[in-house]
Amino acid sequence: MLLLFFALLVNLAAASLTINVPPSTHLPNPHVLPATTHATLTTSNQEHILSASLTRSSTLIFRNIPSGRPESYLLDIRSSEYVFAPYRVDVAADGSILGVWETFRGNPWENRGAEKYVVDVANKRTVNVIVEAKVLGRKNFYEERAKFSPLSLVKNPMILLAIVALVFTLGMPKLMENMDPEMRAEFEQQQRASPISGAGSAMAGGGGFDLAGWMAGTAPSPMANAEGATGSTGREAGGNARRRA
Amino acid sequence: MRLQAAVLAAVCATPAVAIFTDEVNHIDFHHALLGAPSPDSTFFLKPSSASNASLLYTLSDRSILGAVNPRDGSLVWRHNISQSASPVGGAGLLRGLDGNNAVVGAAGDYISSWGAQDGKLIWDQQFDGGHVSDIELLEMEEATKSSDSRDTIALISGKSFGSVRRFDGDSGAVKWEYIDESGDVPFQVSSSPTEVFYISLQSGMLKSSKIKVTALDPVTGQQTRQLVLNSESDITGPESVLFVGANTASPLIVWADKSHKSLKINVIGTKQISSVVIDNTSDEEIRQITVHAPHKLNSLPHFLVHFKTGSGAWAEVYHVDLKSAAVTKAYQLPYLKGQSVVATSNIDANVYFTRVSDSEATVVSSASHGILGRWNVDASSPDLSQAAVAEVVAKGKSVAARTVVLRESGDWQLIRNDQIEWTRPEGLIEAVAAVWAEAEEKEDLAHELEVEGHDSIHGAYIHRVKRHLRDLQHLPEWVKDLPERIISSILADEVTNLDSFGVAKPVVVATRTGRVYALDTGRQGSVLWSVQASEKAWDVKDISARPGQVTIYLGDGGYVLVNSSTGASSYQPPVEATKLHSIANFMVPDGASLLRLGAVGIQENGSPATPFEDITGFLVTTSNNGRVLGWIESDNKTPVWEFVPPSGQKVLQATARPAHDPVASIGKVLGNRSVLYKYLSPNLVLVTAVNEKDHVAGFYLLDGVSGKVLHSVTQAGVDLAQPITSAMSENWFAYSFFGDAVGESSAKGYQLVISELYESSIPNDRGPLDAAGNYSSLHSSSTDSLPLPHVVSQSFMIAEPIAHMTVTQTRQGITTRQLVCTLPSSNSIVGIPRPVLDPRRPVDRDPTSSEAEEGLFRYMPFLDFDGKWYLTHARDVAGINDVLSRPTMLESTSLILAYGGDVFGTRATPSQAFDVLGKSFSKLQLVLTVVALTGGVIFLAPITRKKQVNLLWKAT
Repeated sequence: MLLLFFALLVNLAAASLTINVPPSTHLPNPHVLPATTHATLTTSNQEHILSASLTRSSTLIFRNIPSGRPESYLLDIRSSEYVFAPYRVDVAADGSILGVWETFRGNPWENRGAEKYVVDVANKRTVNVIVEAKVLGRKNFYEERAKFSPLSLVKNPMILLAIVALVFTLGMPKLMENMDPEMRAEFEQQQRASPISGAGSAMAGGGGFDLAGWMAGTAPSPMANAEGATGSTGREAGGNARRRA
Repeated sequence: MRLQAAVLAAVCATPAVAIFTDEVNHIDFHHALLGAPSPDSTFFLKPSSASNASLLYTLSDRSILGAVNPRDGSLVWRHNISQSASPVGGAGLLRGLDGNNAVVGAAGDYISSWGAQDGKLIWDQQFDGGHVSDIELLEMEEATKSSDSRDTIALISGKSFGSVRRFDGDSGAVKWEYIDESGDVPFQVSSSPTEVFYISLQSGMLKSSKIKVTALDPVTGQQTRQLVLNSESDITGPESVLFVGANTASPLIVWADKSHKSLKINVIGTKQISSVVIDNTSDEEIRQITVHAPHKLNSLPHFLVHFKTGSGAWAEVYHVDLKSAAVTKAYQLPYLKGQSVVATSNIDANVYFTRVSDSEATVVSSASHGILGRWNVDASSPDLSQAAVAEVVAKGKSVAARTVVLRESGDWQLIRNDQIEWTRPEGLIEAVAAVWAEAEEKEDLAHELEVEGHDSIHGAYIHRVKRHLRDLQHLPEWVKDLPERIISSILADEVTNLDSFGVAKPVVVATRTGRVYALDTGRQGSVLWSVQASEKAWDVKDISARPGQVTIYLGDGGYVLVNSSTGASSYQPPVEATKLHSIANFMVPDGASLLRLGAVGIQENGSPATPFEDITGFLVTTSNNGRVLGWIESDNKTPVWEFVPPSGQKVLQATARPAHDPVASIGKVLGNRSVLYKYLSPNLVLVTAVNEKDHVAGFYLLDGVSGKVLHSVTQAGVDLAQPITSAMSENWFAYSFFGDAVGESSAKGYQLVISELYESSIPNDRGPLDAAGNYSSLHSSSTDSLPLPHVVSQSFMIAEPIAHMTVTQTRQGITTRQLVCTLPSSNSIVGIPRPVLDPRRPVDRDPTSSEAEEGLFRYMPFLDFDGKWYLTHARDVAGINDVLSRPTMLESTSLILAYGGDVFGTRATPSQAFDVLGKSFSKLQLVLTVVALTGGVIFLAPITRKKQVNLLWKAT
C-alpha cells in the first residue's frame, strides 16, 4: 500500500493540471467568482468524479489525475452564475497530460476545437500543465419588473387623447373669442353643418354599422356577403359526426 | 454564430418564468445547512486583524466546513471536505487563529486550508493509507514570512506508523516529516515557540498505556528529547485522556483516575504530574469531565474543569504556574441542577468563562469568582445542550457575551446576553421523508350545508336564516378590522394574501435520526415545532398525511402517528415484524386533491406483506433479484405477471405517473388545426434496467395491469456510476444519463431524452382504437386490446448531471408542466419548460409556418439551461435527494419542496402567475387614478353643462 502511495506520489508531479481564470469581457474580475466554483474531470466508469476547488488566486488545480490507462476526460468548470467552455483533456497511461482542447457539447467527441495545450513529444517532462479557462457568458436568473414612471403614463395613448381633448375643451372657447367676428360666424356655420357636431342628436340616425341591431338579429351582418357560410358549418358538422361515432 | 442566434430566439419565444428579485425570500425559502457542529471544531474567529468582526467557523459531522455570520446565523461559505470516497475515520478537525485569514480542516485522509473570509482554497493534500488524527497551527512568526500565513503541523496515523508533518502555510508543501514506527498509538500534537510536541500512547501491560511526549525541532523536524509519563494505572486508551493543550496558552495534558477521584495534570515538556482531588459534593456519580482552556496565544494559564453528573453540573477553575508546573485550585462555580455548558473566551490575555444553564447565562473571569455578567435566559429545551462556544466583549466595567449553544440534535442557537438571536435547525440535514400537512378541515360549514340540503324547503330556510343571524355576531369584529385590512392590503408586500389558496402549507419532515420537524412554508420555512419521535435512528420508508395527522411508516412494519399541529407522536408497533423494503400508498385523484385508500408494505423480494383485499387496484413492485412484478389485491404470494429484463441486465428503478396528474387536453392541436391524440394510460410504468458489464441501459415502458411491453429503447456507452434518473407524466417520459463516446461521431456528456406517446402517427386518427370509448389491457381480441403507442423521441446534450427528476403538478393540469431537475454539480434546481423539450421540434431545418404556430422551433442538440429556468436562482442548494411538487388552489402555481441536505421550498409558476395579481399591480396607483378621474369629472362637468346649455340657447 505504502509503495503504491509513493509510486503515486512520483506520478502526481507529472500529472498536475492548472486551470487559470483570466479576466475577460464577461468576467472582468475573476476574484468575484463564488467559493463554490469548481472544476470537474468526467469520463465513464470512474470511481468518483475528479473535482478541484477554486483557489485564492482564481485557479483550479488537479493534482491527482489517476494513471493506469489512457483516458479522455471532459473538463467542466461550474460556477453558479458564469458559464465556461467545456474542454477535452487527454491523459496518457502514465498519467501525463497529452493535450487539452476546447470541445463543443452536442458535437462528436472527435470534433476538437481550439488547442489549449499539446504535449511536446521531444521533451516530455512537463511538470505542470497550465491552461486558461474561457468564460462564455453570464446567467441572468431574475426577471426585471417594469418600473412605474410618470413618463410612461404620458406615453399611454389613452392619456394622450384625454389631454388633447382637455386642451380642446378649455382652449377652444378662448380661441373663438380671439377670432374676428366674421370668421367666427363662418366657423359656426360650418360646425353646424358637419356631422360631428351635435353628436348627441345624431347618434341614432348616423350611418355605418348598427351593432346593437346586428346583435339582436334585426339588421343584416355587414360580413354576410364576404363569408362562405357553407364552409364553416360543414366543418362543424363533420366534428359532430365524429363525436357521435 | 447563427446557431447561437437561433437559440436566443427560441429562448425568447418560450414564456419567461423567472423569479423577480423582490420575490426572493418571499415566495421561496432556503435552509442552507452544515450538519451537527462538532464541539471541538466550532469557534469564533476574527479572520482579519484589521477588523474586529468575527465569524463562527465549524466543521460538522457531515464533514462540511462552513462559516456562519453570528449576527443573523446566515451561511457565509461552506465546503464539503469529505473529498474521497473512503469513509472518514473519526470526526473531522478544524483549526484557525485570530487575525490569520485561513482555517485548516481535515477529514479522513484529506487536509485543506481555506481562506477564512471568502472560503477559497489555499492548499490541499490527500494521503493514501492514513488519516489525520490531529492538526495544529504553528503560532510563531518567522522573520522571513508575512504574518499572514501560519504553517500547519499535522499528525497522520497509518496502520503501523505515525507521522508528523509540517505544511507550508501558503503552498501546502511538506517542509519536514517525522515518522514514528515504534508502534505507539499516535495521539496528538502540540506546539510551542521552541518545540513541537508529538504525543503518543505507548501500550504497556494489561491494556494500560503510558503517555509518551516527543519533542521535535520546529525547523528541521529532528527529535530533540523524549519523555514517558507514568500514567499506566489510569489510561487505557486515547479516550481516557481528557485534554491535551494545543499551544503555549495551555500546555497541559489532563487525565483523571478511573474512579474519578482525582485529576492528573502534566505541563507538556516536563516529567512532573500534579494531582488534584475532585471534590464531589453532590451524591451522584460523575458522568462526564470536560476541560475548557483558552486557545489564544499569551493568555493566562488558567483552565476550567466541568463535571457533569446525572442531574446537574459544577465547574472548578485552576491556575497553573508554568515555571514550577504547580497547579492550584482558584475557585468553584456552584452545582446547578439541570443542563449546564461552559465556554472559554479571551479578551487579550484575560480568560473568561461563560456558563449557560437552563435559566441563566453568567460570565466570570478566570482570575476571580466575581460574576461579571448575569442574564436570565430561557435556554431550557427537551433537546439537551451539549457544548457551547462564546465570545465576550468588555464594555467598560461590564461585559457582553455571545454564546452559541450546541444541542444534541445538531441544532444550535446563538444567545446574545439575554436574547436568543437565531437558531439553525441543522438536524434537517438528515431529512429522509417529507410531506405537506393537511389542515384539519373546517367541517362545520359543510355539515350545516348538508343539513340544509336534506331538510324540507321551509326547514332549510329557517335554518339558514338562523345561521346568518348567528354569523352576525362576528360583524362588529369584522367592521373593526376593516380599516386595518384595507390599509394593509394597499401597503402589504404581497398584493393578495394567498395563504387561503393553499400556497402556505406546513411541511412535516422526518429525519434519519428520529426527529420530526414542521416547517411553515408561508413564513420562510421557519420551524413550527420539532420533536424527537424516536430515541434512536429509525428506518423511515414513507410518510403520508391525513387531515390533522401525519403517518410515518417504518421499515419494521410499524408506524408513528404525529399530530401535524402540535407534534405529539405515538408509535404503533407492527402486528408481526417483517422487514419491509418500501411502502406502497394507494391514492385516487378526487377532484384536485388525492384520496388515500391505504398502504401496503412491500418486502425485499417485491411481494406485498399482506393481501390488500379492501382496496381495488393493482400493484407493480421491483424485487431484489432485479425483476418487476405485478400483483392483484387478493394474492400476495404469486405475482400476476413478471418482467425479466434481457440477460445481464438488472432493474434499477421503476417510475410511474404521479397520482395527481390531470390531463387538460386529450390531444395536441397542430398548426393546421388537426389533432394528434395523446396516448393516455394511467397504468404506465417506466422501467430502467442496466447491464453493468456492457454499459448498456434499457428503458422499458410497461402496462402495469398486463405487464405488456409497450415500448423499449436501449442506450449504449452509459456510465452506471453516474446518476440515471427518469420521470413520467401525462403522455410523456424523460430520462437522463452520462453517455460516453462509443463511436467516431458520438458525443460524450450528459444526455436528456424526452419521449412523447401518441395513439397514432397520423393526425385526426386514433389508430387501432379508432372510435373505441374503452379498451382493455387484458383482452386480446384485435378490436379492444391495448394498442402500442406511437413514440416520438428527441435527445438533448446537457451540461450537467441530473440526480433527480420530477414534474410540476397543478390543480387541473392546464398550466404547462416543468421538468424539475436537481443538478448536484452546480447545487441548483432547474425547471425546464415542456415546450422546450418537445420531441417534435424540426431537425436540421427551420420550422414551417404551421409548426411555428404550434410553438415548435428548430432542434439543437445542446440544451443550455437558461438562467431564468433556475428555481433556485442564485442560491446554492446542496445535497438534494428528493423534490416534491404539489398543486395549490391556484391553477398557475405549484408548490416545490426539495430536501435531503438543504431544505428549499418555492412556488413554481410554469406559465407565469396568470391568476394572481403580482407585485407590479399597485393598488395605490389604481386608487389615485380613480381619484384623479373623479376630480376631472367634477371639474369638467359644470363646464360641459354650461356649454350644452349655451349651445341650445345660442343655436336659434
